[in-house]
Amino acid sequence: MIARLSRSTIALLIAGVAASAILTSAQERPLQEPDRKSTKPAPRTASGKPDLSGYWKGTRETKPGGNIGKDLPGWKLPLTPAGEAALTHNLTATIDPESLCILGGIPRHNASGLPFEILQGANKVAFLYWYSYFRLIPIDPKRKHSDDPEPSFFGEELGRWEGDTLVIDSIGFKDEKVWIDENANPHSDALHVVERWTRPDYDHVHVETLIEDSKFYTKPFTYSRTWVLGAPDEELQEYACSENNVDAAHLGFGPGPIRPDGTRGYIDPAPLPPPIPRTPNPSK
Amino acid sequence: MKHILAVLLASVAIAAGTEVLAHHSFAAEFDASKAIRVTGTLTKVEWTNPHIYFYLDVKDDTGALVKWTCESASPGALSRRGFKRGDLKLGDTIVVDGYRAKNGSNMMDARRVTLADGRIVSGGSAGDGGPQ
Repeated sequence: MIARLSRSTIALLIAGVAASAILTSAQERPLQEPDRKSTKPAPRTASGKPDLSGYWKGTRETKPGGNIGKDLPGWKLPLTPAGEAALTHNLTATIDPESLCILGGIPRHNASGLPFEILQGANKVAFLYWYSYFRLIPIDPKRKHSDDPEPSFFGEELGRWEGDTLVIDSIGFKDEKVWIDENANPHSDALHVVERWTRPDYDHVHVETLIEDSKFYTKPFTYSRTWVLGAPDEELQEYACSENNVDAAHLGFGPGPIRPDGTRGYIDPAPLPPPIPRTPNPSK
Repeated sequence: MKHILAVLLASVAIAAGTEVLAHHSFAAEFDASKAIRVTGTLTKVEWTNPHIYFYLDVKDDTGALVKWTCESASPGALSRRGFKRGDLKLGDTIVVDGYRAKNGSNMMDARRVTLADGRIVSGGSAGDGGPQ
């Protein structure tokens, strides 16, 4: 069949690839990468614990991206009636908080496609995010949650080691201007998140995220994710999200359509006008 | 030939990936049914986060000058593609293919930019759910 393709069909294919090359040819440092095997063990700190430090990039195998229901059948979240109402509210009456430069918080950042960086100390671990946001988590098994923690986007986070797993237990979340993922799913102030971070080998970091929210979800559910290590010279760059947020005045409510593959976006957009053929420079 | 075609098709498949990397959803701001081409004179460039903006003076059907605002990806994303601040020179005539804002204003998503020297650069935000 391929051999019977006409010259015009092949020309169209090549033109299509040329257009794709506009997108991809110069992306020497993509923000996501294909997964790869590792031949080296995880590094360890002086205390013997795995060192989670590194610049971590999402893999192309993580699908659907940006959907906290990724690991659920049909990506169907177990919403309560109150959760359904909150989702409807998010879809019809709220602008994506992240697009307004509000912290994404947890667990949203775990479902993000953007790279992040971990810097691990003996008693504290820092997560640094793309929009120049960060969270600092104390690692202290003796610390307990407050009776009435100050609500925040990342919550009151407590870290502890369970063997080679760094456990981060968080409560005390805000319930306004929060989306739990890119698709505008909700969470309430009853949110309880337990992250279990491991570094199975040199090139990977992994999290198992338990999400409990009895107000908006009928039962707990989990979100698992693996990232690959970036190149040694890759690191986060400055990103001042509110520097020139011209788009804020033009943004509508909700994320727009959710495609059958669980990601946000249109299914059948109108095609752009054909590219303008490049004419030879007569001076050369 | 089979090998070449396989590579070409694989390239298209890679380019069609659905990463979620963007600052906001395409659909929150732009109308995917309103694909347009705007040709105008570059009057201003804001090479800023979370998006770059550039501004064009465009002649409408009556010959009057109309101002258009073009939104592209972040400076970092564009730089990784080889699209640099210096590629946009005030006074240049450039062609922008993209999608108009849902609110009907003269704002567009600059998905494809044809520079004055004929080079075509990708201006869209990868993974925003918009056409790639």
